[in-house]
Amino acid sequence: MPAGPVVAVRDLSLRIEPGEFVSICGPSGCGKSTLLHILGCVDTPTEGRLLVEGADVGTLGDAERSAIRLSRIGFVFQRFFLLPMLTAAENVELPQAEAGAPRDQRRRRTAELLDYVGLGRRAHHRPSQLSGGEAQRVAIARALANRPRLLLADEPTGELDQATGQQIVGLFERVHADGTTVVVVTHDLAIAARTPRMLAMRDGRIDEEASR
Amino acid sequence: MWTFALRSLARQPGRAILGVLGVAAVGALLFDMLLLSRGLLVSFRALLDSAGFDVRVIAADVTVAARPRLDGSASAVAAIRSLPEVEDVVPLAFGGARTDGRDGAPLELFLLGAGPARRQPWIILQGRAPDPAAGAAPELIVNRNLADRLGLHDGQELILRGDCGHEPAATPPVRFRVTGRASFPFDDPRALTAATTMDELRRVCGTEDGDDADILLVASREGQGPMAAVQAIRARRPDLHAYSNEEVVARFQQVGFSYFRQISTVLSSITLFFGFLLITVLLTVSVNQRFAEIAALRALGFTRRRVILDVLAQSVILVGAGGLVSLPLGFLLARRLEAILHAMPEIPAAMRFFAFEPRALGVHALLLMVTAVLAAAYPMRLVARLPIAATLRTEVVT
Repeated sequence: MPAGPVVAVRDLSLRIEPGEFVSICGPSGCGKSTLLHILGCVDTPTEGRLLVEGADVGTLGDAERSAIRLSRIGFVFQRFFLLPMLTAAENVELPQAEAGAPRDQRRRRTAELLDYVGLGRRAHHRPSQLSGGEAQRVAIARALANRPRLLLADEPTGELDQATGQQIVGLFERVHADGTTVVVVTHDLAIAARTPRMLAMRDGRIDEEASR
Repeated sequence: MWTFALRSLARQPGRAILGVLGVAAVGALLFDMLLLSRGLLVSFRALLDSAGFDVRVIAADVTVAARPRLDGSASAVAAIRSLPEVEDVVPLAFGGARTDGRDGAPLELFLLGAGPARRQPWIILQGRAPDPAAGAAPELIVNRNLADRLGLHDGQELILRGDCGHEPAATPPVRFRVTGRASFPFDDPRALTAATTMDELRRVCGTEDGDDADILLVASREGQGPMAAVQAIRARRPDLHAYSNEEVVARFQQVGFSYFRQISTVLSSITLFFGFLLITVLLTVSVNQRFAEIAALRALGFTRRRVILDVLAQSVILVGAGGLVSLPLGFLLARRLEAILHAMPEIPAAMRFFAFEPRALGVHALLLMVTAVLAAAYPMRLVARLPIAATLRTEVVT
């Protein structure tokens, strides 16, 4: 079969209000990660527009989109992607340093965040010294470092066991309760069931009937 | 940025060390080639200037080694000495002589004859220079090699038989009195050299009636400069060929030393190319292994420019550290190569193939930094074109 363009997301219109906690679920290859990447300004739609707080992201250059990701969006990945040569604290400080925060402020914020995710005592440990659940909590702390308004998580429990995954979802619930908009992509219906709004995707489209 | 780049390099310490050592080896050879490209010129110029004469006058437009005879040297000396641009002139003649060694075997030596002048083309280490008015016995100074070889001390007699190469002639031996030891700038490490007055050299060579010299050494008057003296000499005596030391060096640069420059250019280019390849490969491998991590950093808000500069910073750190290590390595290597090259015959002991100039450091640093930037170009391009979403997706799938 000849290779050709893959339409990952099609005919999709979505509005997410500030303060919502939304899960996007569906089978593998349904386009949910692509949708998340578009929401996170990591990918640009071939057709259509993405408006973030009213601004059309498609008209922005790479530097502006990076600035939005740095200051307004937090990303949590399935594979954590913590930098192995940095400690937990240094990983959480990294986006703050990139945003130009002074050192004292970074250190205070980092200590606060690590306590928030329950890892205040593991600040000086490297990722290799952390369990999967601990590493993901550090990743969440890192994603919250610059006080984003939107937290995006792509299969955050994909590498974790069930119990640990539920703990992570509990942490997202807490983040949401503190006022952050949270969007989680997951194939785990048990996790999706804990979110107030669930969008089911199939073949690149939102299945309205299956969504709630 | 620098701290982050350093920590990134420290993740793979073995690879980083290999990179630094590789650049150090490349940098050492590059540094030596830079020294070699101008070392002989710098050293030759210093050698020419060392005796205090900044103009040389010969009979024909050939190198001194061709030994063009300058006839009527006395009148030439008088004419040049009378010029206001000239401080001093000394005529020199070269010849050979033989004497008996300690074991009775004949010993050949180089004999220099110098006319009267305030300055002379040697440095007295011990004793005094030959004085034509000193007494009955002609006087001679010898270099350290000759003095040690024959166990000579001041006041001792030395018998010389001429071997001046013009025409074979049975000239009677001349008994000289050694008055001192001197160093001669153009002596090679094994040279046996003696110097006397012009008249005594002619006596040894059997050319007492002659009035020729091999070369006139001229010192320009302070404040006038060598080119003023050169132009005055050319105007007064257009039959002679006068050259400033700078012109002599320039002639050698075009002819004699150009081979070293060409060799150093070729070797420098090759070493830089290998350094470029080494760093490019190391950084490309590192970047390829970190695609997912870089994509994650981009997703977190790092700009494209930021991640590109991280790669460049790593290259600069590797090359910079290697460059620093290369300097002492280069100096050591230069000393070793210098010793090997000095084994060539008739190379003056004071000549340096690898003469240090501060500009060599600057050129070395500049070439290495250019290499660092060029070596980082391909991995920077990889990072710049990295598709964030596709990379993150691929990482999850694999």
